[in-house]
Amino acid sequence: MKSLLLAAGLLAALLSGPARASAPARPVVEGFTFVQSVGGIDEYRLDSNSLTVLLAKDASAPVVTFNVTYRVGSRNEVTGTTGSTHLLEHLMFKGSDRYNDPAGNSLKQYLERAGGVYNATTSLDRTNYYATVGRDSLEGYISVEADRMRNLWLHESDRQSEMTVVRNEFERRKNDPDSVLVEEVIAAAYQALPYHHPTIGWRSDIEHVPIEKLREFYDAFYWPNNATVIAAGDFDPVNLLQMVKKYYGVYPASTRPIPAMYTEEPEQSGARRVIVKRPGQLGTVVIAHKVPIGRDADQAPLAVLDAILSEGKNARLYRELVDKGLALNAGAGVNVSHDVSLHLLYASLAPQAKHEDVEKALWAALETIKSKGVTAAEIERVKNQTLAQQAFRRDGTAGVVSELNEFVAVGDWTLYARFPQLIAQVTVSDVQRVAKKYFTEDQSTTGWFVPTSAGQQP
Amino acid sequence: MKKILIAVVLLVGGVQAQAGIADKVVRSRAGGVDVITYRTSIKDVVTITGSLPAGDAFAPSNQAALATLTGMMLDRGTLKQDKFSIARRLEDVGASVDFSVDSQTVDIRARCLSKDLPMVIALIAEQLRQPAFPPEEFERVRQQFIGAVRSSIEDSSFRVRDAFNRALFPAEHPNHPQSIEQMLQSAGVATLAQAKAFHETHYGPANLVLVFVGDISDATVRKAMTAGFGGWAGGVAPLGGPGLAPPLPPARTETVVLDAKPSVSVLLGQRTGLRYRDPDSLALRLGTAVLGSGFTGRLMSSVREREGLTYDIGASVSDDTFNDGAFAIRASFAPQLLEKGLNSARRELRAWWADGIKADELAARKQNLIGRYQVGLSTSNGLASAMLSTAQRGLDLAWLDRYPDAARALTLEQVNAAIRKYLDPDRMTLVEVGTLPAAAKP
Repeated sequence: MKSLLLAAGLLAALLSGPARASAPARPVVEGFTFVQSVGGIDEYRLDSNSLTVLLAKDASAPVVTFNVTYRVGSRNEVTGTTGSTHLLEHLMFKGSDRYNDPAGNSLKQYLERAGGVYNATTSLDRTNYYATVGRDSLEGYISVEADRMRNLWLHESDRQSEMTVVRNEFERRKNDPDSVLVEEVIAAAYQALPYHHPTIGWRSDIEHVPIEKLREFYDAFYWPNNATVIAAGDFDPVNLLQMVKKYYGVYPASTRPIPAMYTEEPEQSGARRVIVKRPGQLGTVVIAHKVPIGRDADQAPLAVLDAILSEGKNARLYRELVDKGLALNAGAGVNVSHDVSLHLLYASLAPQAKHEDVEKALWAALETIKSKGVTAAEIERVKNQTLAQQAFRRDGTAGVVSELNEFVAVGDWTLYARFPQLIAQVTVSDVQRVAKKYFTEDQSTTGWFVPTSAGQQP
Repeated sequence: MKKILIAVVLLVGGVQAQAGIADKVVRSRAGGVDVITYRTSIKDVVTITGSLPAGDAFAPSNQAALATLTGMMLDRGTLKQDKFSIARRLEDVGASVDFSVDSQTVDIRARCLSKDLPMVIALIAEQLRQPAFPPEEFERVRQQFIGAVRSSIEDSSFRVRDAFNRALFPAEHPNHPQSIEQMLQSAGVATLAQAKAFHETHYGPANLVLVFVGDISDATVRKAMTAGFGGWAGGVAPLGGPGLAPPLPPARTETVVLDAKPSVSVLLGQRTGLRYRDPDSLALRLGTAVLGSGFTGRLMSSVREREGLTYDIGASVSDDTFNDGAFAIRASFAPQLLEKGLNSARRELRAWWADGIKADELAARKQNLIGRYQVGLSTSNGLASAMLSTAQRGLDLAWLDRYPDAARALTLEQVNAAIRKYLDPDRMTLVEVGTLPAAAKP
């Protein structure tokens, strides 16, 4: 079989002609269609069920990070089922038909014996499951991971015990006033989009969602044609594709279309404000603005603007807020999403600072960019930082996979490679233009965390 | 069942052993500093990590904040340039240099492209050797420190560890943190002259360790280190001491009540009397991993997976790098589940202590620890951190190669004997932090 595959690869290389003679030979495995290669990452599609496969080979250490991303997140939930994506992610560890605790070969038993570093995460637009393992343990992991794609156990007894686990996760987040503030700001900024509710869900939904709803969720979204497999590390691409085919190729594509989320966010018609009052010591100010979808061309100038505002001691927010004693720290960034994304500007108040003054200072930083723009030197600095970041992210397989996972969620994994190029093209006028376009008071949602008392004494 | 276990063992391979680290690592003094270099196959990137003993434990008891205030001044300008100039030189090339102050050490973390390494080494040297201590920056640092300490008052995760270490270790022990009141009071009255004096006394190359991993040449590092650090003298030794099993106080409970905290943070444990480098340490660590590491650890398997009482529970041995450390079970519980959760944790603790671990648990955990260890060494940061902690622990770097065999060689008897010898569930300290249920309040 191997020689046939090699022969097919050779034929493909010969057919490609002299112009492509120097391009690296890509593996050809029967049943896969090569889609594209961008930035050293190869995309394949498993023909039988439309599973997407991304391969990032890196032989610098004998490990592989293998990940499967399902394009389902809290954006696919509605009232009554909020938090279901996350609760289901927890239940994905409760066993599948072939791999489970009673059999002594469950995912956690396998991976912990293998010394794998593994977990799963849920966010607005996706759910992912991953492990970093020695290359010799890879096939065993793929086998277990693939089995739970369609053969998961979903037992009511497991839902009951896991519900209280998730509820404690929910409670732990509520211990932090800033976490509560950001959730409430997001809920106020988004009215119609499901980004309105936190990914972990509302407490009552976590407690009461029936197992049947979770089963419906699983049967709607956990299919190969709604998933992307990502592998980074020390593997042979032909062998890896064969393994993916062996373990994921047994499933058909979903018989029903993957449910679409068609809600659109209505236009905001005035500034919104949120105040969170709880016991505490120091206040916080957050200013949010809705910005375009994660695939929009304006994301690059927004990223440059945020770096100018918040990266390092020469950043404008450091100079204007931290250095002047208004804030302990301050920053800016976009929560880049598949749909309308959210830009957040934040500052933790210094002990004597007032919310009003900090909010004014944050707005002043934005207004200065809107009226006077940024300097060419600031742009150049961000571009150099981006170049360095590109080199840094090659260090380790888990980081590569994690970034790719997020771009899969946004809807275009090639942004992993292309986004630095887009940053390189950003101009001074681009930054000023996006600042003027998106950062208006009427489109803002401002949140304050106001400590209700001196809080606990030490 | 036995057949199934054998099948699982056959299915699982660990990470294939890499060439010995000791064969490639270079360690020697340059500019008076203990320099460790390790070239890897990564292109263009260098990771730097290091430490010197000038952490909070070195601050006089009536000047609790002094070590951190001094450490915070390192990136506020040098005798040659102000803080913005330093930051600009780093930001222009996408490099970073960060200093932080821990209980024992000032930690150094840096990352850069290979071409910028000489400049970054020169900056680290300049910042460590010649901080300018501008008065206006000292006032900024004072306010930022006070703000950070005040923020931590409401942080249940910080408060539970703080209260736990204060309860376990006596005031003169390096692991005993000064109180939040002491920190705030000291920060309010600390002077620039005191910070300068602390720097003069405690900063120097004598026990400064710097590790360089990535696309480097040892010669380039040494040349830059000699240029940057040559002629510098001074420094103090870590606050160590023999690992001795201390007499344990009777079991006790401490509570810190915080309002509006829907999850109670918990630590239950004791001093071990062991440093990492002590002979029984690895056995105790492996036994502890059986109790509280990963999803297959006994605590997660029972208290989370089976009973659903918590999101997070585990057990670990910590704070034993320079001196004797602590064993602790950590967990979080909703107030209404606190008592039940603690009962379950204690049940698992007692069964583990009284009956010991089993042979299949030992075998599985050995594979787990060795595999995770090797996965951890697959990044520059993982390698650099492992090399630094090995040096801090007073071990030679060949330990990094010996560790898998040392873990593999542990016997069931050794592990269970260490658990029984160094721990006593009847004399452990419980700390609870959060909005406690009425019944649990003292």
